[in-house]
Amino acid sequence: MRRRDFVRYSALASASVLVPDFLKAFGNRMIPAGGNGRILVVIQLSGGNDGLNCVVPYRNEIYYKARPQLGLKKEELIVLNSEAGLNENLEALADLYHNGQLAILNSVGYPNPNRSHFRSTDIWQSAYDEDKIPDSGWIGRYLDAQCDNGCVRPHAAVEIDDTLSLALKGNKMKGLAFRKPETFKQVSQNPVLRNAAAAYRPHHDGNPSAEYLNKTLAETFQSADYIYDHSKIYRSKQTYPQHEFGMHLKTIAELICSGSETKVYYISLSGFDTHAFQRGQQNRVLKVYSDAMKAFCADLTDANRFSETAILTFSEFGRRVEQNASKGTDHGTANNVFIAGGKLAQAGLLNALPDLQTLDQGDLIHQVDFRQVYATFLDKWLGTDPAKILNGNFSSLNFI
Amino acid sequence: MVFGYSQVVVSTQKKIQHLFLRAGFGETPDKVQAMQGTSIPDLTSQLFTSSEQYKDLLYLPFPLNEKQERKGASPFLILKMILKSKQDMEELNGQWIFKMVHTRAVLREKLTFFWHNHFATSVPFAYLMQVQNNTLRKLALGNFGELLLAMAKDPAMLLYLNNQQNRKDHPNENFAREVMELFTLGIGNYTEKDVREAARAFTGWTVNARGEYEFQSEHHDEGTKEFLGRKGNFNGEDILHILLEEKQTARFLVTKIYKEYVNPVVREERIEKLAADYFHSGYNTEALLRTILQSEWFYDEENIGVRIISPVELVVRYKKLVDMQFKKEKTLLDLQKALGQVLFFPPNVAGWKGDTHWIDSTSLLLRLSLPQYLVQGLALELQSRPAFEAPPKENKDTDSSPVPALSDWKPLADFFKNETAGHLPESLMDHFIQCNPQFMNKESFSVQGLNASSEKSVILALANIMSLPEFQLI
Repeated sequence: MRRRDFVRYSALASASVLVPDFLKAFGNRMIPAGGNGRILVVIQLSGGNDGLNCVVPYRNEIYYKARPQLGLKKEELIVLNSEAGLNENLEALADLYHNGQLAILNSVGYPNPNRSHFRSTDIWQSAYDEDKIPDSGWIGRYLDAQCDNGCVRPHAAVEIDDTLSLALKGNKMKGLAFRKPETFKQVSQNPVLRNAAAAYRPHHDGNPSAEYLNKTLAETFQSADYIYDHSKIYRSKQTYPQHEFGMHLKTIAELICSGSETKVYYISLSGFDTHAFQRGQQNRVLKVYSDAMKAFCADLTDANRFSETAILTFSEFGRRVEQNASKGTDHGTANNVFIAGGKLAQAGLLNALPDLQTLDQGDLIHQVDFRQVYATFLDKWLGTDPAKILNGNFSSLNFI
Repeated sequence: MVFGYSQVVVSTQKKIQHLFLRAGFGETPDKVQAMQGTSIPDLTSQLFTSSEQYKDLLYLPFPLNEKQERKGASPFLILKMILKSKQDMEELNGQWIFKMVHTRAVLREKLTFFWHNHFATSVPFAYLMQVQNNTLRKLALGNFGELLLAMAKDPAMLLYLNNQQNRKDHPNENFAREVMELFTLGIGNYTEKDVREAARAFTGWTVNARGEYEFQSEHHDEGTKEFLGRKGNFNGEDILHILLEEKQTARFLVTKIYKEYVNPVVREERIEKLAADYFHSGYNTEALLRTILQSEWFYDEENIGVRIISPVELVVRYKKLVDMQFKKEKTLLDLQKALGQVLFFPPNVAGWKGDTHWIDSTSLLLRLSLPQYLVQGLALELQSRPAFEAPPKENKDTDSSPVPALSDWKPLADFFKNETAGHLPESLMDHFIQCNPQFMNKESFSVQGLNASSEKSVILALANIMSLPEFQLI
């Protein structure tokens, strides 16, 4: 036995001592059999990323007329084809594009677009219609749906953050949020809590709340141990940007390449609310995103995991077509999303560039419902029925 | 019942703790001990008496000067107020927490907190949020109909639910829908047509540039409306009256109050009885609460220690028990955020869902680790999500310098100093664990070499018992 394996086994062995019997009974059933090794990574660009300055229609006069100072000239772009160019800070995306590992979907949105950050984030995270109160998230409901054939553990969906987003909260099941596997494990090492969880037996008959707390606690420890054990088998040799987003994406790479059974990862990058002096600000954050993506995809390729990974990048809304008086842009509606992966069925620009002629109050009109993108992942990637999770029928697309 | 809950005799001490945890924000062991000689009915009466006197939240001054007040706020001034509002609201948040910790009118304050969740509102005008908060406090124990009307005319509420856009030529149904779905009947007890007709009745209810409710008759739809089987030239007040005539409104409210004050698992026969009384009393909320708090079943074992404490209640509890403080006020807000409930910032118009929805792996671990942070004076490394409008972060791993949590455990430890070491675990259980402890392992919070006369050892035992999941149950 190699030393690394020995360390793993002994860690598992010692952890299992502390696992209450009622959880042991679940055994390995917790991740449904028949699942595959496919992984979805969701990246949320928070604040409303200006997609029009990411994928630029450099032959469109309306674009330059609407953005006299903000419009990016052809020389400033990485040209993709005869119409579109990528913001030069998105170098990693351009590489992926040329390798057939990137799909760009334009004009993605939803009916009756809401221009509030909070509301639109809730809509994207819940996948509910604009007029419904968001009480759970789409990834959380994906976890719920797995409960029919033996429940998943919290680490089936992981968010790298201090708090868990609505997206990962289901009605029965919730994902797991942490910043660093080692800190999370360390906090969970509190012997008082460990003892309490180990001593617990499910018999608070008249007290479902006590049951729920203790069950969650026991699962948390299992997941904290599991994640810790699966965070260090693979060590990244790539250079990530010295920015917390880079560090977090590196954590995800190490978990994936260490073979964690996590199905969905969620991570956010903020700084996209560019009402004034947009250019420098947006370019800086895009570069962080792109550099981190470059290292991330290299890690996945290294460990032979890229063909089983899909990375979805979205923002809660795009921005107004016309620039404002402060060399920035205001909140808009439909936007582009990026799908990266080692094995896409369709790559490149999947649909037409946004129609800048026909606008609704100065904003783009969506052509693709974002829930079609979710449905595609649920159906073709995670192998589950999207209708139940999305509360409606959204036709799948063909990018995977 | 299999485990014989019914056989357990609930001690007077536990009943007092129960009463104060539910009707207020809990009390410290010394105060609970001092109340032991008073009967439960007397203590309940005192709760109502001490809630007669109360003070408004008067932190923010009226934002307009006399000239602006005459002319109304200009768009520029409104923008300025919006930009400053977040900071104001964060300060207001701290003021309200302070009030929850220190007020004598705990019953009124707790109910104000309940109504804040029922009429969940969040607008970027901090002064209007303060106005609404004072209205909720003033009418908390009164007649629900009066509170409902006040909220329907509350400027923050009207702005939050877009009723300033509700005009006869272009109705906006947002307020009308939520009045029925969330404030009175509950979903499924009205039709889409009822929503449309009610929206017509509320046309012209708006907020003027001085931040006051105003009825603009030129935008009001004077036509005949058909609403919940009635027909007439209804205005907004009529709609609210009709909603109060529906027994379902009483049932809906009583269920919500029961879940919060008694048990998240309801007993239908009890709801029916309470709802009938509430309805016939003309929605007298004070009478409803008296009935609940003075009933024998309120103190049944099955209703004690079965509710998951909310983040705000937990924060107030730590402040009351060990005077939790933070060097930076913002940490108090970050803590609420990380726990999932920030006063004045409900997630949406439906408010916080509460109960098991408070708990995920991450938030639970934070709740249970909190006493250890406090007792060791460790920094709470909470990195709240950056605000949407925040500029992109610098190239650093972290930008928040950790701020140690401050607390004072001495007074609490002093209370237990005369206990024998053998009896200390029992005594701690009695004071801090409300649910049936018969299945809990007392070893799990033991301290090596526990010595009741050593302050340090008692403090560690206190922190340990507060780390148990059962401490989260009130």
